[in-house]
Amino acid sequence: MASVTSNGTIRARKKPLLKRMSKYWGFYLMFIPVLVFVAVFHYAPMFGIRYAFYSWKIIGDPKWVGLANFEKLFSQSQFSVSFTNTIVFSVVKLLLNTGFAVIISLLLNEMISLKFKKLSQTIIYLPHFMSWVVTASVFSLLLSPSNSGLINQLLIKMGVISEPVYYLADKGWWRIWYYIINVWRETGWQTIIFMATLTGIDPGIYEAASIDGAGRWKKMRYVTFPALGNTIITVLILNLAKIMNLFESVFVLQNDSVKRATNVLQTYVYYQTFNAGASADYGYTTAIGLFRSLVGLALMLICNYASKKVRGRGIV
Amino acid sequence: MKKLVALMLALALCMSMVVISASAEETFKIVMMVDTTVVDQNNGRDAFEARWEELHPGFDLEIIQPDHSAYYDVMQQRMSSGDWPDVLILSSTYYADYAANGALWDMTEAWENSQTKNSGRFNGDNVFEGLKIDGKLYGFAPYRGNGCVTYVKKAWMDDCGITEAPTTYDAYIEMLKAFTAKYGTYAVAAAGFVGNEAPFVNYLPEFYQDAYPYFIQQEDGSWVDGFTQDNMKAAMQRIQDAVKDGLIDKETLTNTTADARNKFYDDKFGVFTYWAGTWATNLKTNLEANGKDGELIALKPLEGLPAYYDRVPPVWCITSKCSDPQKVFDAFIDTMLDGGDCQMLWTYGVEGVHWSKSAGTVLAGTEKEKTYEDGQFHMLENLEKEGTLYTKNHIDPMLSLASFADGYYDPKEDSVKPEAKAAAELFNENSRLAAIVPATPTLSELNGELTTLKGEIIADIALGNLSVEEGFAKFENEGGLEMSNEIVASLNELNK
Repeated sequence: MASVTSNGTIRARKKPLLKRMSKYWGFYLMFIPVLVFVAVFHYAPMFGIRYAFYSWKIIGDPKWVGLANFEKLFSQSQFSVSFTNTIVFSVVKLLLNTGFAVIISLLLNEMISLKFKKLSQTIIYLPHFMSWVVTASVFSLLLSPSNSGLINQLLIKMGVISEPVYYLADKGWWRIWYYIINVWRETGWQTIIFMATLTGIDPGIYEAASIDGAGRWKKMRYVTFPALGNTIITVLILNLAKIMNLFESVFVLQNDSVKRATNVLQTYVYYQTFNAGASADYGYTTAIGLFRSLVGLALMLICNYASKKVRGRGIV
Repeated sequence: MKKLVALMLALALCMSMVVISASAEETFKIVMMVDTTVVDQNNGRDAFEARWEELHPGFDLEIIQPDHSAYYDVMQQRMSSGDWPDVLILSSTYYADYAANGALWDMTEAWENSQTKNSGRFNGDNVFEGLKIDGKLYGFAPYRGNGCVTYVKKAWMDDCGITEAPTTYDAYIEMLKAFTAKYGTYAVAAAGFVGNEAPFVNYLPEFYQDAYPYFIQQEDGSWVDGFTQDNMKAAMQRIQDAVKDGLIDKETLTNTTADARNKFYDDKFGVFTYWAGTWATNLKTNLEANGKDGELIALKPLEGLPAYYDRVPPVWCITSKCSDPQKVFDAFIDTMLDGGDCQMLWTYGVEGVHWSKSAGTVLAGTEKEKTYEDGQFHMLENLEKEGTLYTKNHIDPMLSLASFADGYYDPKEDSVKPEAKAAAELFNENSRLAAIVPATPTLSELNGELTTLKGEIIADIALGNLSVEEGFAKFENEGGLEMSNEIVASLNELNK
């Protein structure tokens, strides 16, 4: 069935919704488990958000406190330190990881020996598969201020330092090593996406560049790097939306000496809960979680907008 | 005919209802929630449950047992849902908190009149005194919480010509200096300069001495924050000096317990304060496995120093929603240390599943293979971990708060290694229970931040980043003293 509109165009008339659904009933049937799963495990727990406005310690009924949890939140110095750290650690980590991933991808792409290239790729991917706990143990050993600490001993032998430095106990050094460890662990994995883009570049462009007299450097500068541009922006945008999810990498490297200076929102919640000496106030910790989610949501919307502008389509 | 059949069916239905309700009346159900300190499903829990019900006719035991690491998550979810178990096991933190919030049944009177307390076999009066909150008892501990004693490597003492174990702090420091000079390494290491939970100071007792960085109740009943007392400053100075002199491993800050143990096994240091009892055997065997001399001397507390801290044990509590708490107390709690079959079940498990007295060979075909004669008590092979033997069920025989009844066979003598027994006995004779701090809303609100600040100050002083005076000034300047005073006031408020 079709109808003619006032301007003379012909428009197909839609069948009623139920009819259309009955036509594809099989698909709808298959969708039901997914719908139930999402409703039960993703949407139903969201009702827990209400506890952000209560004081609740598991035993007894929750007590309505309105915005008191948020007032407390913004008055705590440790909260603002944790929030700032979350943003700074995430953004610096993201920029460093992406930057190094691009450089390594370009270097890998220039390798002539396929065997060596594959070996190099495998070696740099491997750290990603180590758990954060193992990573922290390995770097604790490497950075040890004792005679068995490889980094300290190397730097002393090279004359860079005269005394061993307790890197993980020093607030300044801790941050530097946090970034280095993250680059070591994550950069290799991030190169996969850039390598895929590089593989997709038309060899004809390189041939044309060669005919025009471009050497390796110029080909990299004028062909390869611009081809990566969109991918770099996409990776940055996609990761920016996840920057509030920082816990394990910080938690496993923390110690008493640096804890307050290096707390991020999630470790702050952890210590508020488990160092309380009694049941924590789940209302307060839920308020922190809600605040974190709202910031994450705002970031995601900004990224979605940026993605639409840059790529022509959003990320959600 | 149809009417007759219908009548007979109705009669049969009524009869079955009567039978069911009669049997339901006979059986009293106890819902128990426990972590994996009791044998779990893979380790013969069904057999444990069946044996418990056999020993308690008329009772039906339902066991809820989440994974060990998830226990407190699941337990709290259950409590928040309102579907409370009748009886559950709680750590000291939850015990104090739940008691303060009216979630636990006051068992003071039941305990005073209990068979266990009045049996003459019970030896844990001091532990139970420590479990009382505001004079009331809300939980039952069948065993001590255990604690740490200081072990010294005998071979290191011999190498340094030290013939007697130190008994004073000065002699102790001299010994550490001798070790450091002889081996060119630190003499003591631990996992953290301060612990994460009570009793906080148990890994460095000789340095903390009478100082305690948490809330303590004084003899007059008033509360103070031990961190703000002068003895804490003296303790911090001792630790700072020892780290500066190379006597304590500065990596104590970042050591995990496994790191500290491995360093000890690798002979990186010679004095280690670690758990009493079974760990004495573990330390010895691991040293020997590394080709080192495994002989260790467990030190008594140094002269003038207080006894070692006994960790507050996990306690069995009856919830305030239990329909008949006295009945649950009598059947479940008061029989746990009955000196007979029930104590045997809670201590060693089920005969034929976890232990046996029948002739046989355990760990057959391995280096540890051992054959027993008929009537000889022995633990059986772990159902889950091939090649290892069970050592106990819920109650560690060395930490049990009651002996077996006269005439009842106590397998402890045959199942415990001499060094473990010696360390446990030394600890039991020289220990005191860490205090339970009651929960207050202020404590719950401020203690997370306060503990983190205290930890940072202790670490900074220990590593020499701050002097003792600077450290305590920082505590004051950064709001620590204010938070501490608020918590102390809230605790003292409870006394009014």
